Amino acid sequence: MVAAMLTRLLRQGLAGTLFLLAGVLLFQFVYPFIADSMGGASGLENLVSQLPPAMQALAQLSPEFLAMTGIAGFISRAYDHPVYLILSIAAMVAFTGRAIAGEVGSGTLALSLSRPISRWSIFAARIAGVAVLAAVFGIAGPVATWLGLQAAQPAGEVTLSQLVAMALLGALFLWTVGGLALMMSAVSSSTGRVVGWATGYLVVAYFVDVFAELWSILEPARPLSLFWYFDTTDTMVDGRVPTMSILVFGGVGLLAMVLGWLEFRRRDFVV
Amino acid sequence: MTDTVDAVIDVEDVTKRYGRVLALDGVTMTVPRGSIFGFLGPNGAGKTTLIRILMGFIRMTSGRATVLGHDAWTDGVRARERIGYLVTADGLYPDLSGYDQLDYAARISGRPPVWRDRILDALELDDVALRRTLGTYSKGMRQKLALTAAAQHRPELLILDEPTDGLDPLIQRSFEELLHHFRDEGTTVFMSSHDLGEVERTCDRVAVVRAGAIIAVGEMDALKERYSQRVEVMFEHGIPDGIDEVAGVTVVHRDGQVVEMNLEHDINPLLAFLAGHPVKRMEVRPPELQEVFMSFYERRNGLTNANGRRS
Repeated sequence: MVAAMLTRLLRQGLAGTLFLLAGVLLFQFVYPFIADSMGGASGLENLVSQLPPAMQALAQLSPEFLAMTGIAGFISRAYDHPVYLILSIAAMVAFTGRAIAGEVGSGTLALSLSRPISRWSIFAARIAGVAVLAAVFGIAGPVATWLGLQAAQPAGEVTLSQLVAMALLGALFLWTVGGLALMMSAVSSSTGRVVGWATGYLVVAYFVDVFAELWSILEPARPLSLFWYFDTTDTMVDGRVPTMSILVFGGVGLLAMVLGWLEFRRRDFVV
Repeated sequence: MTDTVDAVIDVEDVTKRYGRVLALDGVTMTVPRGSIFGFLGPNGAGKTTLIRILMGFIRMTSGRATVLGHDAWTDGVRARERIGYLVTADGLYPDLSGYDQLDYAARISGRPPVWRDRILDALELDDVALRRTLGTYSKGMRQKLALTAAAQHRPELLILDEPTDGLDPLIQRSFEELLHHFRDEGTTVFMSSHDLGEVERTCDRVAVVRAGAIIAVGEMDALKERYSQRVEVMFEHGIPDGIDEVAGVTVVHRDGQVVEMNLEHDINPLLAFLAGHPVKRMEVRPPELQEVFMSFYERRNGLTNANGRRS
């Protein structure tokens, strides 16, 4: 029954999810072509050196950074690029918003609640959905990057282990986003409200992380931002996910799921 | 304690509060096995709240509710193995076809849809319609599909909240007949409604709820007998004085020699009074459910409900 519910959940809004997935694939596929068009790692280094320091900070690129990290460092920037983040986060938040709050709002949750299915099984199907989507979107980016690298052949090297690490980091990050959004969904009766809450938190967290580079007063708040632990450069360059990222993403995601479950199991569903 | 020997639903002193709002106020009742039980009341009386408690959607504030011998909240999964529940017509997935919706409902019920074809026939939901997605259905068609999804797996207990909402009168009658067949084959039906005619045609027993409290419960015929009958008498020589002072009599209309009365309880005082006055014609008509229902709702002062509370 969990499998049947999971399939149903994934089929809902499938067109939108595929559209977002196509966007992620296209964006990550194109990025190696951008690197190639700028002359690979050395060309990028020269180009970035022409930018004023504030622009370099905003772009999170500097000549020194590119000199140290090469093409892998440049490619890693595609994973904390707002386009990639918006596309993949939108898929997670839309799914989790629909999965509980949306079903409460429309009344379709009554179909599952009225069958011989425990509340845990109903919630577990939602957790499984988050895990599947996080895995799909986490893997999709690096697959597209690899295809782009094969097609564009930019100067410099990116290894398979670097892309695997990037896939793992992406999946862990999206698992956490999904967990937080699922927790919000468990206490809400409207998809729109979940999207609003999740977007609000993530936008604030993103700006805290980005602007802390420019404005030191934000520096103490940086560890509160999920994006602080989404260290795409270290992951891509070292070819492994930082331990802190694994602990924070795994822990926060799990904690959010547990809190969501505690609410879901006791909640009155007026459906 | 209520008798639980042959009760498929046993509710005892159930109260539900939403903050300051008292949705159910000490509801006690049992639904006997093999009956069609009507749960009657106007919108907002608490019918749906009790059904949600029975289905384990919401928790009661206090009291006890068992369904098929299982606690509705803590052991609801085992009860729901044998229940069919009507979801609202809006609670179906609009992106699925009719067949896909029924298949999905059967899959998560864990039981084969052995009654599907006969229900679809009775409700006249044809193959062409069932291949279309629900987004193209009218409200009545969605209601038919929801009814099929609720009962297709031959449940032991069928819980229906306003089941004929949106159905045309002909289909409504077919569905009522279907419920009688289900009852004859051993399924107990618990249905809420504000349609008095539907309840009167369909149900064996009825509970009347007002403002969250049960104000009457019993077999349909017994309930009618307990409350006023309509009596019309035509006298030979005009309406005699003192008729409205006869015990249990309320005169509702006078027209020349004819008087129309509501008679509560015992008819003998009226017969004794009439014995002293020549009568040309007399008609005693049992009350319709609507009259019984209205009498509950009109007599707000001094009425004691079925739970022994003053309402």
